[in-house]
Amino acid sequence: MAVAAPAVPTVERVPRWRRFTPRLGLRARVILAFSVGALFLAMVLSGIVLGVTRTNLVNQREANATRQALINAQIVRSGVRPESNTLQVLQSLQTPEGSRPILYERAVTVTGSPDLQERWTAPDPEFGKDALPLALRREVLSGEPAKMRYVDPNGDKSLAIGTPIADLNGAYFEIVSLVSLDDTLSSISFTLFGASIATVLAGAAFGWYSSRRILRPLGEVGIAARSLAGGELDTRIRTLVDPDLEPIITSFNGMADSLEARIEKDAQFASDVSHELRSPLMTLQASIEVLQNNREALSERAQSALDLLAEDLDRFRELVEDLLEISRFDAGVMHLQLEEVLLSQFVGYAVRDAGYHRVPVVMDPDLDLTEDFDDVITALDKRRIARVIANLLTNASKYGDGPTQVYLDGDAHTVRINVDDDGEGVPEEDRDRIFERFNRAGAAHRRGTGTGVGLGLALVAEHVRLHGGEVSVEDAPSGGARFVVSLPRVELEHDDEFEELA
Amino acid sequence: MATRILTVEDDERIRTAVKLALEDEGWTVAEADTGEVALETFQREPTDVVLIDIMLPGIDGFEVCRSIRRISDVPIVMVTARADTHDVVAGLEAGADDYLTKPFAPKELSARIRALLRRTRTGDPAHAHLRFGDLEIIPDEGVVNRNEEEVHLTKTEFRLLTELASSPGRVFSREVLLERVWGYGYFGDGRLVDVHIRRLRTKIEADPANPRHVVTVRGLGYKLQA
Repeated sequence: MAVAAPAVPTVERVPRWRRFTPRLGLRARVILAFSVGALFLAMVLSGIVLGVTRTNLVNQREANATRQALINAQIVRSGVRPESNTLQVLQSLQTPEGSRPILYERAVTVTGSPDLQERWTAPDPEFGKDALPLALRREVLSGEPAKMRYVDPNGDKSLAIGTPIADLNGAYFEIVSLVSLDDTLSSISFTLFGASIATVLAGAAFGWYSSRRILRPLGEVGIAARSLAGGELDTRIRTLVDPDLEPIITSFNGMADSLEARIEKDAQFASDVSHELRSPLMTLQASIEVLQNNREALSERAQSALDLLAEDLDRFRELVEDLLEISRFDAGVMHLQLEEVLLSQFVGYAVRDAGYHRVPVVMDPDLDLTEDFDDVITALDKRRIARVIANLLTNASKYGDGPTQVYLDGDAHTVRINVDDDGEGVPEEDRDRIFERFNRAGAAHRRGTGTGVGLGLALVAEHVRLHGGEVSVEDAPSGGARFVVSLPRVELEHDDEFEELA
Repeated sequence: MATRILTVEDDERIRTAVKLALEDEGWTVAEADTGEVALETFQREPTDVVLIDIMLPGIDGFEVCRSIRRISDVPIVMVTARADTHDVVAGLEAGADDYLTKPFAPKELSARIRALLRRTRTGDPAHAHLRFGDLEIIPDEGVVNRNEEEVHLTKTEFRLLTELASSPGRVFSREVLLERVWGYGYFGDGRLVDVHIRRLRTKIEADPANPRHVVTVRGLGYKLQA
């Protein structure tokens, strides 16, 4: 005994990281990827540029300051005499902004006694001996020129340079502020930041553009797929020549090939069936006619049997024809033979041709008429629309207590052929299903013998759809059902030849 | 003398049944199962109407139609599988006068044959000679001359032309022509008229692409003028 497995609700598995992120479209993702890439690139490049620039600037500034300090030291060495004013000499030095000289002297008395006299001279009292880093002072005073980056007493980044001056038994120092360098660097970083934003925007724009480029072939595939679905079976992608898209193009065209082959096979089958059924029907029909021509030679019983045979042969032939007609719709091999007709005249002929001589054809007096006739001219496939009208009339007499009138109305763009009956109408829920094949939805509720197979209304729907129109059911003003066939009003470009639409 | 009909059909059972039905009408029926046999029979025996199934083994119905047309203006009815194919137009252009789709009722075939065999109505004496520019129609003799040279028309083409000539300048709708020439009602196939008009033009017009005599009146039909 088979035991049914317990039903396990299937849950679509979503990676955790995706669970809370909104799903982005392919295009949004491409743009995002390009933007992030551009941002990353911009940041890396900015970092490198900033670093290199900073190093270069600092080195250059150091070199400049050192050179200037050495020159200044020379000037001081030659300018400072015991009798001169050291401070004046220092003040007269050409020092750039933010550069502060400091001079250290150690006077030796003439007697050579160890009475050493140290003197620190600085034009800026704030940047005197104590402003210099101790390590630098020591190193320079021990006779070695030196320089050092440090933070000065004001809290600014500075460079201290010192060089011993043997003549004076002292040393020359300079404190060079690097603050202006920082300003330069920050303005460079600001510029780089701006450039980065521009790069990200450019990246996004490029992403947008290239995603459009990338998605354009997909659009073409979409158009081709739609055209294929719309019945253009010979649709293939031929305009795309791109080695990268080769697989998708090949598989699409392959799919189209097999689809076309399959539909052609189906159509071929329908056509084969058609041929196979037509021949015996032809023989049957001709033979029965011969029998009917000679019915007086038959006994009464045989005559009754012949009548039954003839009637059912007619029904059988109709059914076969309906089946073949609908299979041709499925195969998509239908052609419209459009012909311009006077609407009320045409409908009148169609109603009488179907055998309903007493059903009145009434035209809405407000219907837009033509100049030449008190009628409407429109192009339609006479055979098909006559068939539509006949099927609706048959339907009305089978299920709707007989047709009461055929009412024509419409507007500038549409004509409507309404077939009213005297029955109980069609319930709301059946109004769509009634046009399905072999659907007896209507028949169950409605009176009638139910002998007809439910292909008549399905064919009505197909014929009308082929014209670009639609069919529906509503309540007739008189109480029964009203079947409404809406057809677009068509004017033919040239009437000389038949218009054939696929 | 009884009307002689040649049926060209490869299915023996259909051929026999159709023959039985047509013989009930009092007609004589000759049979052919291939195009080759049909052409041979046609040349050997006098024939009033030919019925050809388009789907034939060997040379097809269109070719049989064309071959017969080259040597005769006998009325030809062709049998096609479907009405809404190009087969119909192709068959008419091959020279057929009318068509039926399978399965047809033999009564319908008889009606078609009778319509095709109907004699051209004799015009009144005033219309014994009709002249339209370079075109001369002599209805009673079944002769059409263009520039004093006889033009060979099939019976149906001739009837179509005389119908148009019966009221020169009057516009005939397709429906009217279908009824008068082929005996159809309103739902006759308008392509019969169009293809025959086209064929007629190639025979009687100096420039069939810009017809002078048989003119299309847009949305209404055709008319004949000098």
